[in-house]
Amino acid sequence: MKQQEIHSFLNQFFTANDCEIENHPGQYLSVQLTIDMDKALMNRPFYWHYVEKTGGVPNPQKLTLITDYEKAKEIKGELIHFGSPRLHQIFAISKRLGGFIRLFEDQHASISSNIPLIPWLCINMKISYCCDRKKDSFRSIGLNLINGAMAENFQDQLNSFQNQLVAKIPDFCFTLSPLIKPQSGLRRIEQYITNDIEKDDHSWADEARKRWQEDEKLLNHFYEDMEEKPESYYSEKEALQEQYEPKITVSIINGGIFYLAKQREIATLAPTSLYKPSNRMPIKKG
Amino acid sequence: MSVSIHFDTSWQEPFLKRLEDDGPWSNRQLYNLAIEVEKHLLIPEFEGLQAPKFLPQLKPLPHQLDAAQQVIENMNGKAILADEVGLGKTIEAGLILKEYMIRGLVKKVLILVPASLVSQWVMELNSKFHIPAIAYKKSYSWESIDVVVSSLDTAKKSPHKEAILEQSYDFIIIDEAHKLKNHKTKNYEFVQNLKKKFCLLLTATPIQNKIEEIFNLVSLLKPGHLGRYEDFLDAYKKDKDKLNDLHLKELVNKVMIRNRRQDTKIEWTKRKVETVLIDFTPEERALYDLFTSYHTNSESFLSNSFALLTLQREACSSREAVYYTIKNMLEKKEESSPLFEQFVEKVMEKVNNITVNSKAKKAVELIQSINDKVIIFTEYRATQLYLQWFLKQHGITSVPFRGGFKRGKKDWMKELFQNHAQVFIATEAGGEGINLQFCNHIINFDLPWNPMRLEQRIGRVHRLGQEKDVHIYNFATKNTVEEHILKLLYEKIDLFERVIGELDDILTKLDFGKMEDHLIDIFGHSMSEGEMRIKMENLSSMIEFAQSVKENDYREAAGDSLLS
Repeated sequence: MKQQEIHSFLNQFFTANDCEIENHPGQYLSVQLTIDMDKALMNRPFYWHYVEKTGGVPNPQKLTLITDYEKAKEIKGELIHFGSPRLHQIFAISKRLGGFIRLFEDQHASISSNIPLIPWLCINMKISYCCDRKKDSFRSIGLNLINGAMAENFQDQLNSFQNQLVAKIPDFCFTLSPLIKPQSGLRRIEQYITNDIEKDDHSWADEARKRWQEDEKLLNHFYEDMEEKPESYYSEKEALQEQYEPKITVSIINGGIFYLAKQREIATLAPTSLYKPSNRMPIKKG
Repeated sequence: MSVSIHFDTSWQEPFLKRLEDDGPWSNRQLYNLAIEVEKHLLIPEFEGLQAPKFLPQLKPLPHQLDAAQQVIENMNGKAILADEVGLGKTIEAGLILKEYMIRGLVKKVLILVPASLVSQWVMELNSKFHIPAIAYKKSYSWESIDVVVSSLDTAKKSPHKEAILEQSYDFIIIDEAHKLKNHKTKNYEFVQNLKKKFCLLLTATPIQNKIEEIFNLVSLLKPGHLGRYEDFLDAYKKDKDKLNDLHLKELVNKVMIRNRRQDTKIEWTKRKVETVLIDFTPEERALYDLFTSYHTNSESFLSNSFALLTLQREACSSREAVYYTIKNMLEKKEESSPLFEQFVEKVMEKVNNITVNSKAKKAVELIQSINDKVIIFTEYRATQLYLQWFLKQHGITSVPFRGGFKRGKKDWMKELFQNHAQVFIATEAGGEGINLQFCNHIINFDLPWNPMRLEQRIGRVHRLGQEKDVHIYNFATKNTVEEHILKLLYEKIDLFERVIGELDDILTKLDFGKMEDHLIDIFGHSMSEGEMRIKMENLSSMIEFAQSVKENDYREAAGDSLLS
């Protein structure tokens, strides 16, 4: 994340959280925090407890974040960069506040056209391959809860018509009830991802196991002569397992329900692809 | 494929609840930002370092980045970091730790360091690496802190020991790990029993005296890597074959990183060494000669030539040091013999006759002419106290420093020295770990007999961050054991100007034993000046020989980058 990206990220974040911002692009931002943001960011529970108990006038703080040290030398504030704890605190809040969504597509329907909206389940995931090393990838899957069609890169596809997505159901539209329950939709996505991961190249895991075996061989040799192995033998052995054992975790970043117009074109996978991934339409890996 | 896949299901329930309750739903911008955040934090590759982009202000040196990458990619996160003093092992360790934390592979961290370094570690991890490390305090529980820094001495004692062994640490760092070279100690046993998933051992002197030391260190980190103890001794003790030696080096280099000053392409400031010879006053000379006379005297109570030698060395330092030792001898002695009493009486008489400490006088002159911050090292606590008093008489401000100080006091003393006092008087135990690169004058008031300790002393000051040339003044009293030592070790083998860290290589080339033992033999057991001189010649030519072997080796080894 470059400094300009961080700057624009912060601007978006505080705008989305209804804070007043004095923005100096490429230099710094002064943010008048709201009460909620003060509570989330400033770590002063006693103050807020006091104000609430005594019914005092709340006075949320002002926060100045500097994104270019050279240009904002005389400004008093916090220097912000990709590793700074403050930014990671804001990251964590974004993740917490941005977990679940529901949006509707607005096709500007007229009274005569009465558009039906189809529910899509969208799941954005992080897939991590872990051993003594680690690698992540991002996946976004959409599932049509009427006909079971599945789409890759779903979030990107949604983003191409972002302006047409709104938080309230538009006039002259109605939503179709899902034929597939969201809960079983989630299971389908899980199944699909599992199959897909299994097809991936896992030489990384084989190599990790090899490293593990090598170290374990040395360990066994070291304690070979001892009839009764000391505690350290077992703890080292356990440590090797924790160090090397390959694991894959899939965690959901966020997701939700999107009601899309029927005529909206979404690139989906061929229905059989759930069982034979080789028939899958060509997709870009995220 | 047999890798287990774990699906995190924590998202599901709150989502379904929102569907049921028709909200609350996130604002769209925050939803998009959450995705953006995750994409920025993804680890795109198994290889490479992510940490530097999280630490734009750190600016690590190339050899530090290399070390971090090697440890993670070729050593699987278990390594001995053995850079020479002052090359920034802490930075390397911090980078490695940060990398694992960013990758989400490490959460619970235990950092064991000498008590004097606890605050320094905490501060550096927090300010340079944004790692929320906390110094252990009695009121904390071990399980409640994710990244804890403690002294090894505290950690190995009950009830801490038991509490620590119950934790499941992902990452363990042990600084000044040469304290673990002996496998029969409590320190060793404690660390051996720790579960070490990822682990770094930091030491500037992986081998101080014997080749077994490296075996013990490596076996702590990776049991079996050098085979079993008996096999190892068989292979490397008797058989001095070169091939074997290279093989050993290769093995060791699989788990150890050792950067040398000359490899780092950093421009180091110079070391300017000056020998300051001092004349005894007749009274001081009389005290010294008294001990000399007992060398040839075979009186039973002082048959131990080491004790005599110690007294001689103390006489070169201060009369207070002698007095203190004699006092101890008296307290320990159960039954007094007339001979011993006579001896003590003679010593006390000579001690009382002394009115001037010639060395201290010289030190004051020197400090006044330097007119800048100075560190004085002495081996003796009595000398330290005396010097403090003596400097004060001359209007020179000083702070004492020694190993026994509590952590907070050490920090405070360093702080006082940096901001308020001109002189820092440290005993040997104070030589380790603390960084004083804001000062560039060292006085060795007396010299340690273990050359490694001298490296540690100089390393406090001549390290990264030192911008000026470093001046080292070696005090030695004329016609004493001190002058001999200085001539032999520190002039003949050039210890001071020598690139730091070289000597340990040289010493281990020979199955040399302890340098101190050789010195005790030479100065304690020689029956005549002539014998002493011959023994000294022998010792120095042995060292020279080892050095020439080492240089050849080094050239060979450099080809296949054994010593990266």
